Amino acid sequence: MPKHETPLMDDLEKGPWPSFVSDLKRQAEKNPQCWDIIGQMELSFKDRMTHWKHGGIVGVFGYGGGIVGRYSDVPEQFPGVAHFHTVRLNQPSSKFYRTDLLRKMCDLWEKRGSGMTNLHGSTGDLILLGTRTEELEPLFYDLTHDLEWDLGGSGSNLRTPECCIGKARCEWSCYDTQATCHGMTMKYQDEIHRPAFPYKFKFKFSGCPNDCVAAIARSDLSAIGTWRDNIRINQDEVKKYISGENVPNGGGIPAKAKKFDIQKEVIDLCPTGCMWMEGDALKIDDAECTRCMHCLNVMPKALRPGVDQGASVMMGAKAPILDGAQLGTLVVPFIKMDPDNEFEELVDVIEKCWDYWMEHGKNRERLGETIQRIGLPTFLRVMEIEPIPQHVKEPRSNPYVFWREEEVEGGWQRDVKEFRKKHAQ
Amino acid sequence: MALSIEELKEKIMEKALKGPKTQLYVKDFYACDPEAKPRAVKNAANDLVKEGRMVFWSSGSTTMYAAKERAQKEQD
Ligand code: HEM
Ligand code: HEM
Ligand code: SF4
Ligand code: SF4
Repeated sequence: MPKHETPLMDDLEKGPWPSFVSDLKRQAEKNPQCWDIIGQMELSFKDRMTHWKHGGIVGVFGYGGGIVGRYSDVPEQFPGVAHFHTVRLNQPSSKFYRTDLLRKMCDLWEKRGSGMTNLHGSTGDLILLGTRTEELEPLFYDLTHDLEWDLGGSGSNLRTPECCIGKARCEWSCYDTQATCHGMTMKYQDEIHRPAFPYKFKFKFSGCPNDCVAAIARSDLSAIGTWRDNIRINQDEVKKYISGENVPNGGGIPAKAKKFDIQKEVIDLCPTGCMWMEGDALKIDDAECTRCMHCLNVMPKALRPGVDQGASVMMGAKAPILDGAQLGTLVVPFIKMDPDNEFEELVDVIEKCWDYWMEHGKNRERLGETIQRIGLPTFLRVMEIEPIPQHVKEPRSNPYVFWREEEVEGGWQRDVKEFRKKHAQ
Repeated sequence: MALSIEELKEKIMEKALKGPKTQLYVKDFYACDPEAKPRAVKNAANDLVKEGRMVFWSSGSTTMYAAKERAQKEQD
């Protein structure tokens, strides 16, 4: 039986879409404290303000990340949610779960928490919603000992790394995103669980520019797979697309009534205009290609990424906390992603940027905001990277790369008297 | 000369116990030893958490450090 009158919440059950309110009510039959969540939310709707108190001392022994503390500011009314901490579990790379582990996790959470989960939070972790402070240590013990499962990141920590499905199932992947994601998770355990940074830091890994985990929009440092050489073209398959024997877009877009038109649907849509036909052969001026993936997506049987593969590194994406939302800026055009040398080139990029940001980033300032504050030219110098035209964002307002004195032969110290002799005042 | 880790830990505790602010960012501790690398300072602060002399205070998005007694008093 519902414990509270909740007309406003009930309203959210109407309509054709699934409702979290219905889910909450179903769970409340099993776990009556869930009625208090619905009750407290109803009150928030009425009062037009949240009744969650922000933050507090939480965490399990020695961990400064993985648990987000929340307390109710009306605990007498809603004792079931007096404490309502969420727990972040580190999801496996590409979210390949073993079902037996998922079942055990659900059982454990019924016992130690609300039983409600969220797969997945926007950082990527598996989220367990709502438990009391005294349940945290026992939960952590069972998680790590019985399920061999660790917490993810929260707070001013490295957040749980995240990757696309990569080479496991995707022919476009230009590097092994899962090996990278798992490798970095293991290497940076300390940064995930013990706060080290001015603010949160995320990295995400996509195997190609399709960027299925939206790394460019959501991570302070994203590695997006790419290639340095030429797109591989199979001209026989190109002909089959033109003749209609091959279905465009892998059949993913419902076949249109009209015949596939390579000029209209591929060549004219190439953002750099670097493709053309010579007779019935498709040509690409690869030096102009920006690796947007459009042509490869439309004709996957005919076109494949080049063979000299690696990743581009973008930095500074963030949500609109200060200023607006920001996409990552290309910082390192190409690095090799090699598990045999433990992703040495990537690690080098990560640590160079951390060393600077940890010291010079302001409190609660994301990397993207630091870059904005000091300017991209300064940041490139920190990263020891030569500027290239792709680093220039607005040619009219920021067209110059300035020389520094050590780069100019003879420097720019001069004898003013000598100078004035030639240039009268 | 950078301080030894024990000296650094004592400086951090002093700041956490006597400073005007109860809750401190990890960066606030860098001043305890300007010679030390940020990571060394973080490790010292984390040692103090493991020893139970400091606790983490987190909003979920930002984590701060606090001396245990002071933070506990504030929370209750
Ligand atoms: C070899 C000789 C010259 C060189 C290399 C040169 C170079 C440049 C450059 C690089 C700019 C900036 C363009 C931009 O903002 O996109 C510029 C702008 C300008 N130059 Fe020259 N310049 C030369 C001779 C002259 C002369 C002889 C005059 C006038 C008598 C002149 C008048 C201007 C003016 C008025 C602008 C500003 C245009 C604007 O703001 O859009 N320049 N010049
Ligand atoms: C008392 C005399 C002058 C004053 C107060 C003056 C002032 C200025 C100012 C305030 C600017 C804008 C600077 C900026 O964009 O930050 C400017 C630009 C410019 N002035 Fe003058 N100016 C004087 C004389 C001259 C003379 C005699 C010439 C040419 C023979 C000249 C050529 C230019 C040019 C070409 C620009 C544009 C530079 C650019 O686009 O970057 N000015 N001036
Ligand atoms: S980002 Fe690219 S490699 Fe990764 S799953 Fe998507 S299409 Fe495949
Ligand atoms: S990947 Fe994009 S830019 Fe490159 S050739 Fe294909 S459509 Fe053009």
